Amino acid sequence: MKLSVDNLSTPFLKGISFEVHDENAVILGSNGAGKTTLAKALVGLYETSSVLVEGEKLASLGSGRRAQLLNFVPSGLDVFDEYIDAEAFLNLSLLNGSTPDDLETVMARLNITGIRNTPCRCLSSGESQLLLFAGGLLHNARLTIFDEPTANLDSDKKIKLFGMLKEHLGWKIIITHDLNLAYRLGYRILYLREGELVFDGSATDFFEESHFRSLFGESICWVGGHFVVNYG
Amino acid sequence: MKRLIFALSLIILAIAPFVGETAMKLANLFTPEATEYLLFWELRLPRVGVAFFTGAILALGGMVFQAVFRNALTTPFTLGVSNGATLATAIGIVFLPASLAALSYFFSFVGAFSTVVVLFLFARSLKATQTHSLLLIGIALSFFYSATLMVIFYLSDLEQSYSIIRFTMGSLSVVGMESLYPVAVAALALLWVVIRYRPELKLLLTSYENAFLKGIEIKKINLILLLAVSISAGVCVSVVGPIGFVGLVIPHIVRLLYRRSSDALILPVFYYGGVFLVFCDLIARNLGAVSEVPIGVVTSFIGGPFFIYIILKQRGRHG
Repeated sequence: MKLSVDNLSTPFLKGISFEVHDENAVILGSNGAGKTTLAKALVGLYETSSVLVEGEKLASLGSGRRAQLLNFVPSGLDVFDEYIDAEAFLNLSLLNGSTPDDLETVMARLNITGIRNTPCRCLSSGESQLLLFAGGLLHNARLTIFDEPTANLDSDKKIKLFGMLKEHLGWKIIITHDLNLAYRLGYRILYLREGELVFDGSATDFFEESHFRSLFGESICWVGGHFVVNYG
Repeated sequence: MKRLIFALSLIILAIAPFVGETAMKLANLFTPEATEYLLFWELRLPRVGVAFFTGAILALGGMVFQAVFRNALTTPFTLGVSNGATLATAIGIVFLPASLAALSYFFSFVGAFSTVVVLFLFARSLKATQTHSLLLIGIALSFFYSATLMVIFYLSDLEQSYSIIRFTMGSLSVVGMESLYPVAVAALALLWVVIRYRPELKLLLTSYENAFLKGIEIKKINLILLLAVSISAGVCVSVVGPIGFVGLVIPHIVRLLYRRSSDALILPVFYYGGVFLVFCDLIARNLGAVSEVPIGVVTSFIGGPFFIYIILKQRGRHG
């Protein structure tokens, strides 16, 4: 599937153009760089005519077809009805061939079977994040965009989720500002800064010493194989 | 608690047509010559039926509106349907000769429906997720209608003013089965629509974003639900006038009682909305010594305290 963005401009984004052709990618950028806006435009949550799926305008794609091809997993869980529990939420994500058995498997792997009957509104931010991730896997769209999938998780869960992300067979775009995650994933990197796409290329090129320094200066150090913030 | 209330509701429905100012001999119910026959089949039974289906429409409509607008305070009348009906009825009362009083049903119907049409036209130019804007438009429309109603009041004489005020209080004094049919059809049609769109409703109960991503055409679904509720509420208003409070409190009470998501409560909300209005009407008919108490007063007097009681009780139990 080819997803193309042609000169996308919004109040937050400035003339963004790129193509994703059946591949994984990472959208990197600092807070407020426009990552989530870009992701929402890619799945149609932000209405624009600049996004094309297989050459066809996303807005003219039927809603059922769109749900087959594209999904977005937000960083926060928003559920209006106070009595919808975690299992009911996941049941609503059983699309594109996923079965109730898959639901059980995913819940067991993410170790969230215990919150099955907990109302979504009562979940902690970490639990919500795992639930959203599980929903994304079950929805099983051709391309899934995960927005900061690891932001609220403790280290054990981050590692588990990283493993599951790598295993997940569908195409995915991961939005993050976690350089370590982007580095370990090794996918193509789209780097946004203040609404502009300033880098689009391989992870190797992005993390190449001089290029990396040109973007981050001395604010990030490379210590023991990891990026750490240099507080000075 | 659930079982007790269900048992009580059955008793209320069973006795409602038999309790009233005039005591009835059961044996005479099937003798066409007896007064009881006329009283039961032409007055009491249609009245209980109209009360039931009106309550059912208002409660189910309230639940759907609360889900679509994501606002716990919306009722089927929030978008101005009842104000539209009231205004049109008032215009009919003041500007038409008294001999055309029988047309007041028709007027309130036109008022309610033109409001639905206006809302529909506005909704078409809004984006799918701009339900807040639609809500505000509905509220603005209500204010506009109220202001126009004031002008009509100003132009009316004493008797006309009284008729208008009496309409706004709502009344279940219907005669004959003919009044029951439109309300019953509207109620069952609304029930069918809501059940038909139950999966979509459940997705709307998570979030608009989630529903969109799961392949729901939000604008279409919202408009279908909005139209179904407004039209059926419009039918209610034109038969019995605006009866407040049912659409607001019954969905909340049923939710607190069952503790399940709204999509699983379509039938309970429909049923208890109906029972609640039958119960309120039972009291309205039997309380007043001189004439019956306006139904809207009873719904508020009973629903209000019970609502507060349930909320306080739930808060006490769950912190």
